Amino acid sequence: MKRRTFLTTLALFLFFFNLGIFIISVTMFKDTVSRTEERSLAEHYFIASALIKDFYTVERRGINIEGSLSSLLQPYSYLSVDKKAGLVLYHNNQPVYSNQNTLALQHNSMAVPKDGSRAATVQKTEKGTFVIVSGKLPAPYDPYTLIYTYDMTDAIRSWSYLKNILFMAGFAFSLFLAFCLLIILNRIFKPLKQISLTSKDIANGAYETRLTVYGHDELAEMAQSFNHMAEEIQHQMVALIDTADKKQQFIDNFAHELRTPLTAIYGYAEYMQKAVLTEDDRLSALDYVMSECRRLQTIAFQLLELANLKNDQIKYEDQNVSSLFERVEQTLYRKLSEKNILVEFRNEIETIRGDAALLESLLINLIDNAINASEKGKHVLVLATKETNKKMISIQDNGKGMPTEVLTQITEPFYRGEKSRNRNDGGAGLGLAICKQIALCHNAELSFASCPGEGTTAKITFTAS
Amino acid sequence: MASILIVEDEVAINELVKRNLQLVGHRCTSVFDGKAAVSEIQCQSYDLMILDIMLPSLDGFEVIKYANATPTILLTAKSSLPDRIKGFTMGADDFLPKPFEMLELLARVEAVLRRTQKSKNYFEAGDVKIDFDSHQVYQKGQLVECTPKEYQLLEVLVNNRNIALSRERLLELVWGYDFEGDTRTIDVHIQKLRKKLGWEDMIKTVYKLGYRLEVIR
Repeated sequence: MKRRTFLTTLALFLFFFNLGIFIISVTMFKDTVSRTEERSLAEHYFIASALIKDFYTVERRGINIEGSLSSLLQPYSYLSVDKKAGLVLYHNNQPVYSNQNTLALQHNSMAVPKDGSRAATVQKTEKGTFVIVSGKLPAPYDPYTLIYTYDMTDAIRSWSYLKNILFMAGFAFSLFLAFCLLIILNRIFKPLKQISLTSKDIANGAYETRLTVYGHDELAEMAQSFNHMAEEIQHQMVALIDTADKKQQFIDNFAHELRTPLTAIYGYAEYMQKAVLTEDDRLSALDYVMSECRRLQTIAFQLLELANLKNDQIKYEDQNVSSLFERVEQTLYRKLSEKNILVEFRNEIETIRGDAALLESLLINLIDNAINASEKGKHVLVLATKETNKKMISIQDNGKGMPTEVLTQITEPFYRGEKSRNRNDGGAGLGLAICKQIALCHNAELSFASCPGEGTTAKITFTAS
Repeated sequence: MASILIVEDEVAINELVKRNLQLVGHRCTSVFDGKAAVSEIQCQSYDLMILDIMLPSLDGFEVIKYANATPTILLTAKSSLPDRIKGFTMGADDFLPKPFEMLELLARVEAVLRRTQKSKNYFEAGDVKIDFDSHQVYQKGQLVECTPKEYQLLEVLVNNRNIALSRERLLELVWGYDFEGDTRTIDVHIQKLRKKLGWEDMIKTVYKLGYRLEVIR
């Protein structure tokens, strides 16, 4: 593009510039020639009329014209000091006088006007360029033809010199112009080049690359939208990588979650097959096999539940919050009395729209987490209230709490706060993922606030109902 | 024989490893988290440690730092290359990915113990004594002549004592993969061993499976 612009501009310029120079030269040439012609014509006229008077005077004295021609014409030769002008006189087509012998004129070929007027022609010979004016003398001396020549070689030469200088200067100017044009084009095309370089960088994965925007012209605007595009791409890439990471994490965790019970089941089966066992050994090994199977079953069930929640449409009905709390309390009663934890239900709203079973499972899950995090004798508060016109249920415990970096990930499937993925105080790690999905189904938002050592608050904010 | 520390937070797997190692006569101690492991190592010396990487309170890599050069086998589900390399760089002697097979666990334990020379170079049961260094078998102090294959078979049985070994597995371990013989070769050799050592009761035929050398623990 740059090259094309450069070449087109340069070619157009050269064409018109040289055309201009050419026209000027031609005009100057024509002007020179016509001025010389005019001058020659005037000279011819002057000489001719002077000659007639001389002839007349000579004839009156009775002297033969033929004999005194050279003395008559001699003075006129001095008209041209620089010896550019020449005179030739013919009598009935026979030259009778010539002051420039060297000049070989093809006078025969030139047509002498019959009516006594003069004709000027330009003739080029090896010696130079001449203006030739020929004309018959008026009667009674019409057998005489006077030819006036004027050597305009010098004028032509000086014109040619001037013309050459013009073209040379033109060439120099063209070079200069090409150079300037190149600089200007480079300047204009620099942002484009930068954009192409930057987009190459971005394509190669350096998504943080940006263009520097200066000025307020179209290019700056383009650079801005380009940067905007790059930013969007970067965001999308980050999101994609994030999703991929989460997926990978999910798969890793899932594999671990499956592998551990499978290792145990296979190991105990092999042990029972190959080792000498006492009855006690056999029973305890079977116990392990069964409990690991149960663990796999739980994982399968919860995964299915999670998948179903993502697909199924749920039925919305008004649920009485007090009776919901009652049912939850009944379910958790045994565990509460075992750990000696007091759960206080405080209710300030009447109903919540949603699915009874799902809401129950959501609350049980969250309260169960709170109980697991709390030590014996601690206190858990379940509060249903309105906050800025939105219905909200919060579960607050005074348990061990979690650091913030854990908090952001606890709703990921199979995520565990404990790096060892220990399950002494938890299930498969799907509970909160299910909770989040249930909340999503109810257009509710599940959020957590926690401080290590002080406790955790889980909050379900219903945005729709 | 050797005293082994098992550090694994999954109770079922910890117990499984412990039982398997006890079968071949090792003394085992089970701990379930990193901190307990460190304090256990510091107050008592062990011949070998079987260590999980993902542990509560202190992970496996941290535990190795405090291991006082106790030979260590990493037993973990984290079997990616970076994890394995990290494990070996930290000073682990071997690596066993979950899920594992009993025989592999025992073989690796045996190999590490042999390298670190904590394994006894002889084995005694009743009136039979086997010298692993000189490959010689004695009964009541009398040298018993064994063919090389018979000795190898005996060594495999002893190393995996109290564990039933299938005929195919025995063929693989003693004769190698490319042996094209019948599994009855095993039966013949077992018969010879039983006769030579008077081990008719010790080497049990396990129905539909293979043979097991039973030694009272």
